[in-house]
Amino acid sequence: MAVTSIGARVARKEDHRFITGKGQYVDDINRPGQAHAVFVRSPHAAATIKRIDISAARKMPGVVGVLTGEDLAADKIGGLICGWMIHSKDGSPMKAGAHPALAQGKVRYVGDHVAVVIAETLLQAKDAAEAVVVDYAVEKPVVDVASALAKGAPAVHAEAPDNRVFSWHLGDKAATDAAFARAKHVTSLDIVNNRLIPNAMEPRAAVGDYDSGNDAFTLYTTSQNPHVARLVLSAFIGVAPEHKLRVIAPDVGGGFGSKIFIYAEETVCVWAAKKVGRPVKWTSDRTEAFLSDAHGRDHVTKAELAMDENGRILALRASTKANLGAYLSTFASSVPTYLYAPLLSGQYDIPAIYAEVDGVYTHTAPVDAYRGAGRPEATFVVERLVEVAARQLGQDPAKFRARNYIRNFPHQTPVIMAYDAGDYHASLKKALELADYKGFARRKRESARRGKLRGIGFSSYIEACGIAPSAAVGSLGAGVGLWESAEVRVNPIGTVEVLTGSHSHGQGHETTFAQLVSDRLGIPIENVSIVHGDTDKVQMGMGTYGSRSGAVGMSAIAKALDKVIAKGRKVAAHVLEAAEGDIEFKDGKFTVAGTDRSAGFGDIALQAYIAHKFNGQELEPGLKEGAFYDPTNFTFPAGVHICELEVDPQTGDVRIEKWTAVDDFGVIINPLIVEGQVHGGIAQGVGQALHEGAVYDPVTGQLVTASYMDYRMPRAEDLPSFVVDTTVTPCPSNPLGIKGCGEAGAIAAPAAVVNALTDAVGHEDVPMPATPQALWRACQKAPRLMAAE
Amino acid sequence: MTTVSLTVNGQSVTKDIDPRTLLVQLLREHLRLTGTHVGCDTSQCGACVVHVNGVSVKSCTMLAAQCEGAFVTTIEGIAEGGRLHPMQEAFREHHGLQCGYCTPGMIMSAIDIVNRKGTALDEATVRHELEGNICRCTGYHNIVKAVIAGAEAMGGGMRQAAE
Amino acid sequence: MAFTMTGEVDLPADRETVWAKLNDPDVLKASIPGCQELEKTSDTSFAAVVALKIGPVKATFRGKVNLTDLKPPEGYRIAGEGDGGVAGFAKGGADVALSPSETGTKLAYNVDAQIGGKLAQLGGRLINGVAKKLADEFFANFARAVSGGTADAA
Repeated sequence: MAVTSIGARVARKEDHRFITGKGQYVDDINRPGQAHAVFVRSPHAAATIKRIDISAARKMPGVVGVLTGEDLAADKIGGLICGWMIHSKDGSPMKAGAHPALAQGKVRYVGDHVAVVIAETLLQAKDAAEAVVVDYAVEKPVVDVASALAKGAPAVHAEAPDNRVFSWHLGDKAATDAAFARAKHVTSLDIVNNRLIPNAMEPRAAVGDYDSGNDAFTLYTTSQNPHVARLVLSAFIGVAPEHKLRVIAPDVGGGFGSKIFIYAEETVCVWAAKKVGRPVKWTSDRTEAFLSDAHGRDHVTKAELAMDENGRILALRASTKANLGAYLSTFASSVPTYLYAPLLSGQYDIPAIYAEVDGVYTHTAPVDAYRGAGRPEATFVVERLVEVAARQLGQDPAKFRARNYIRNFPHQTPVIMAYDAGDYHASLKKALELADYKGFARRKRESARRGKLRGIGFSSYIEACGIAPSAAVGSLGAGVGLWESAEVRVNPIGTVEVLTGSHSHGQGHETTFAQLVSDRLGIPIENVSIVHGDTDKVQMGMGTYGSRSGAVGMSAIAKALDKVIAKGRKVAAHVLEAAEGDIEFKDGKFTVAGTDRSAGFGDIALQAYIAHKFNGQELEPGLKEGAFYDPTNFTFPAGVHICELEVDPQTGDVRIEKWTAVDDFGVIINPLIVEGQVHGGIAQGVGQALHEGAVYDPVTGQLVTASYMDYRMPRAEDLPSFVVDTTVTPCPSNPLGIKGCGEAGAIAAPAAVVNALTDAVGHEDVPMPATPQALWRACQKAPRLMAAE
Repeated sequence: MTTVSLTVNGQSVTKDIDPRTLLVQLLREHLRLTGTHVGCDTSQCGACVVHVNGVSVKSCTMLAAQCEGAFVTTIEGIAEGGRLHPMQEAFREHHGLQCGYCTPGMIMSAIDIVNRKGTALDEATVRHELEGNICRCTGYHNIVKAVIAGAEAMGGGMRQAAE
Repeated sequence: MAFTMTGEVDLPADRETVWAKLNDPDVLKASIPGCQELEKTSDTSFAAVVALKIGPVKATFRGKVNLTDLKPPEGYRIAGEGDGGVAGFAKGGADVALSPSETGTKLAYNVDAQIGGKLAQLGGRLINGVAKKLADEFFANFARAVSGGTADAA
């Protein structure tokens, strides 16, 4: 069997179980004696709980337990945490209210957890949940940032009386203001980045199991990072000690950020398993997912771009109000701050940038990282500003971008980031060719003849992936390090298991990681297994999010592989009776340099284990190496996406005619998988731009988009086939040259769509999501250029 | 309780069930056929698609009791003798899945599309016909490719899945 | 979520008769769609059980109904709230004004209501249609009661 190289377009190893219905998702797991949990959730956005009467529910058939916040408090179970400390402009730490897993005295959003009912069957638990009587004193909610920040608004938490969690800023205000003062042109925009609900197709689920014999807990959970879940559940929430808690995240049906976080439900399942003496299973239904999964985006921004007389960008200024929801979710505070403002330089050489961000509590579901997390919001601000500026200056938007692109690397932006490598002109040039930009005017005329409005829109995005080095993110407030771990276990016959701290929930790690091993060790990909998602098997690891698993997770594997090869060389020196320095490893063989004496990788593995050919005191038997890899910098994938679309002014209907994406992800391990990541990202970005929006009733705080009947998911017919290509500048900050590709599409797409829509309708007043109704309205307005100030 | 007898993937089964039991619950919880998934509760997402008497059905919207005497085929029942169904092969070949959660429903819907529309499918037809299946990972690009290729392969003398 | 609805109906009876029927629990019970129980708890309050189906959500609401701003025979405000358990809640009221008309009495109503929980999450977009239908049913029943003396189910 042949080696599978880095760069090979191979079909996925993991697919067999998924296409045959043999995947093992959390809801597919059942433990002996398992009982089922149903959460009683608040129907009110803001209320004081006067009384919870569980007496009737307790007597219902099959009920094994009804638990409330009082029980949690009595057991001294801590609250859910936010793991990233943000300091306000004045140096004060963010003002976070408590976040109990079951409400204690107050409910703060529709869907907030009030009690849990555990019964023999799910139907019995549902019936008994109906019998829990909660007496609420309903209060007036604050639903959006404007009303939350209004004078006299009710406080969501007493800790933040004006609902401001933090009032943060980044950049040089004086230098930025000075640049604006001398600018020839200023473009300003009011931008609303619509609130989204992640909607991984697999709803969250948890099974808590308690083994009283060993006083040990097991949690099966839909997690992108089981070790982080274990750490938080043990060290902070305190449901079980870390060494007595095993967290297993088996097959996970998509995450997109929403399964990073440690939620109330899994906390309660672990705790309740011991409490009721039964394994406890909870599976979210879709409406619960809408209510209680952490939402994404929800920014309101005033943004300005300053230019000189030649259209060179001088400065950028942004003031953002970020809705954080009713409680701070696990990484909520980092998203609108350090994952957002440092990306406001985009691909452009901007001498001065200043951003201020208010994080705001409202009576809505917690808001946290969703595919892209802060970076889509930043890209939308930058790419809308740039597009509008080019139009106002009468310049071609592609040329305007090219004129302002960063040319030399490394490049230090005024907002923390040091871009290590890139070639933005190369991706723009390729994208313009693939999109046939030259032929656009002709196509637009042709559309006009049919009564349709054709538009083209660009998005020159950049993202920062990897989210590391650990010391750097620590200095910015992260409560964790963002390295990754790997362990390479070579079996005596030369097959390999790789235990990785990354977690695959659709990314295809079982294939790409095996490809790396096959390439490096010269063994068939079939001889490699990737093990992940189980804290009892895999050493501490940080999980998968922020497009980090290639750049960080695979780098850890590469580092461990280097150690395996180094150890193999030592063994080979004994076996081949040569000096270690003369042993070369290539194509799966250890060879004595300049001779034909060699031994295969499998032979050396066997020799390492039988340990007959060397002194066990001088060289340890066995062949197994581990590594922790901490990157030297973020990685900076970047690219150009071009959206061409047609609007029907009669109906507001929009058809995406062509999508061109040219991305620079550095070195690519498997193009098939990378393209798939880009496709999916684009679809989510198009979803944000055209279809998706979480809507809370502004008066009552009821979530009115709580099913697929009301929350419009992108479907096959909404999208075209995409033209996806790449350019390559290897990333110098990790040994593999990888940059990361998981979020690119979602980051790039919204601005490309809205820039195309505004091009089509001839003015800038197009909201997201640009539903047919919104577009029809936009088509009723006369086309006009927005005046520059 | 009520009793229901039906044939699932060629095997006759009889079960005593709560009359509220949905077909998907019968498959997943009583028969341990967990390949059929629940992605929503409103018949929108299609993760639960199975074939009942040869026609695709959202099994979250059908009572198990309605399936008395029916022939049900699930994702577990379309490969024969260890050989994958051509539509399964096509999904793997064209990377038509990522997290795999929507995949069983997609494949069952795709086979149903071929049964209804024939083996020569164009992109517009496939996209239109997939309106009842939501995927959050792939952007549908490779699913569409897979369905077209799988349809073609089914035309190449391969047996069609639905009983 | 909150919504409002206004409308008026012409009833074939004089204002005093309409007013009396508006205060008669038997007539109200027969007129309110899905009303299973309506018991007078004081001169101006009732305890009610109403079963309703809004979209995919079916629920039995237990709650109270209060009459305020009584201005016989010109009108009153009727307000109530009901708890439908896991299905959520509904609360609201209607200002009802009676004025003489050529054919009898004109009844104008101005409804403001809120729903929450599953009702809003799954039935929210249907609520305006359902509310209109419920109002139409109520007034059709009520019109029968004031003209024929009894409503169907009374």
